[in-house]
Amino acid sequence: MKNLPGKLLLLSVVSVIAVTAQAAQYETDKEAFENHFKGRFPDVVREEFANGVYAIDPIGRESWEAIEEFPPYELFVDDGKEMWDAPFANGKTYKDCFPDGPGIAHKYPHWDKEQGMVMTLPLALNQCRESQGEKPLKYKKGSINNILSYIAFESRGQVTDVVIPEDDPRALEAYENGKKFYYTKRGQLNFSCANCHVQNAGMKIRSDMLSTALGQTTHFPVYRSKWGTVGTLHRRFTGCNSQARAKPFKAQGEEYRNLEYFLTYMSNGLTLNGPGARK
Amino acid sequence: MNMKKLTAMLCLGAIVAIAGQSVIAAEKKAAPKAETANKVAAEPAAKSSENSGDKAAAESAIAAAESARKKAASIDGEWRDTGKMIKKAQAALKAGDSAKAIKLAKKAENQAKLGYEQAQAQQELKMPSYLKY
Amino acid sequence: MINMSTRLTSIAAAAAIVLGGTLSISTAVAADEKALEEGKKLAFTRKDGNCLACHVIEGGEAAGNIGPPLMMMKIRYPDKAVLRAQIWDASVRNADTAMPLFGKYGVLSESDLDKVVEFIHSL
Repeated sequence: MKNLPGKLLLLSVVSVIAVTAQAAQYETDKEAFENHFKGRFPDVVREEFANGVYAIDPIGRESWEAIEEFPPYELFVDDGKEMWDAPFANGKTYKDCFPDGPGIAHKYPHWDKEQGMVMTLPLALNQCRESQGEKPLKYKKGSINNILSYIAFESRGQVTDVVIPEDDPRALEAYENGKKFYYTKRGQLNFSCANCHVQNAGMKIRSDMLSTALGQTTHFPVYRSKWGTVGTLHRRFTGCNSQARAKPFKAQGEEYRNLEYFLTYMSNGLTLNGPGARK
Repeated sequence: MNMKKLTAMLCLGAIVAIAGQSVIAAEKKAAPKAETANKVAAEPAAKSSENSGDKAAAESAIAAAESARKKAASIDGEWRDTGKMIKKAQAALKAGDSAKAIKLAKKAENQAKLGYEQAQAQQELKMPSYLKY
Repeated sequence: MINMSTRLTSIAAAAAIVLGGTLSISTAVAADEKALEEGKKLAFTRKDGNCLACHVIEGGEAAGNIGPPLMMMKIRYPDKAVLRAQIWDASVRNADTAMPLFGKYGVLSESDLDKVVEFIHSL
């Protein structure tokens, strides 16, 4: 019995070490990730990766810069501002849910301990709407992209800073699930996300250059010429899975939210520059 | 007489040539392939699609495909077109084309099984070698 | 006369052999060319083989560069069956390959895969 306090002390020291060792895994992941891209693109300064494929594709960059002269997402930002300002039926606005808004994109995704899940901005917006007696918006297409465009625009210059809290093992689990998703080969074509955006980033598929995983989340929502409109990150995930001929998952379902958590964490430190414009 | 001989020779030559061709053709046909064998096996059922027995066969093929699809989906291994194939099989069955329904259902079931195996083999995450730690 | 007849006979025989041989070779070549042509089509179109998505191939436009250029294939793959196996399931040789398993996962039917192999091996 005399030994008990000592044993307890030892136990707590051991468990602290265990937690620290475990927590270090995602940091090791990020280091490997960063080193990979540094090795592949030694001439690209880190901050440039926020510009996606245009950090590494000088030809594409020229037309991108021309497009940015008259940004195709501008109207969406304007419409989004109207949405932000317009009162709900109960007289309240988005501001009542998000007092720090509208520049809040850098706070997402984050671990929501209370709900035990990864909270993304689109999900938070809909939870706000529902709490105010409004119908939720669709997660891939439509007016959710207006308000997301406005919030992204107002959040420009903020820095990606996803935290994986150590006081809730479920957060780490969500991160690990997102990571597993990224490296898992899927669909009839047997592609993982990483096959294209880690292993072969910078290579060309037909005449399109594959973007780097690093910096993939900074510019959402994105105006894609292919879509002719602005779309969400989860719409983009859907498209990628579909191209690999895998059945896409539900937008804002657990799989894609965890994926967003992992992928955004990997871009920690990069400046937000949404909404973006892409081919 | 010489002319006759000549003609005969030419004929013989032609026969040799034709024989040569058919040997080549036969060789090509003979090359065994797994899929071809499968198709041949699936065909007898498909050919007599008027039989009510075939309707039942189509129904059970669709049910098998659907349960394989669900199994793949349960571990996130479903492919993009599997469900669409099953829907097409159901439509073909409804239109009375059991042969087509069976063909589509078999294809869907095969996809579902492959998708399941693909996901099952990756239940434990193995980090790829191209990412150096 | 006998001489003449013998000579004629042997000429005819030779002609027949040559003619027969040519006939048989030319039809075989025609069949091969057809397979090559079909294989090329499958390799170049986006929907089917889409080899061009990742490999440079002579005569193909807008080729990607994820995989190695497809050239000197007979030197790289003296055994056509090895090439076929590689296209059928590239993950056997490299678990991390980004190449789809064209045969194993049924991206191409076995007969289409044969045509693609014919074409790729001819490069």
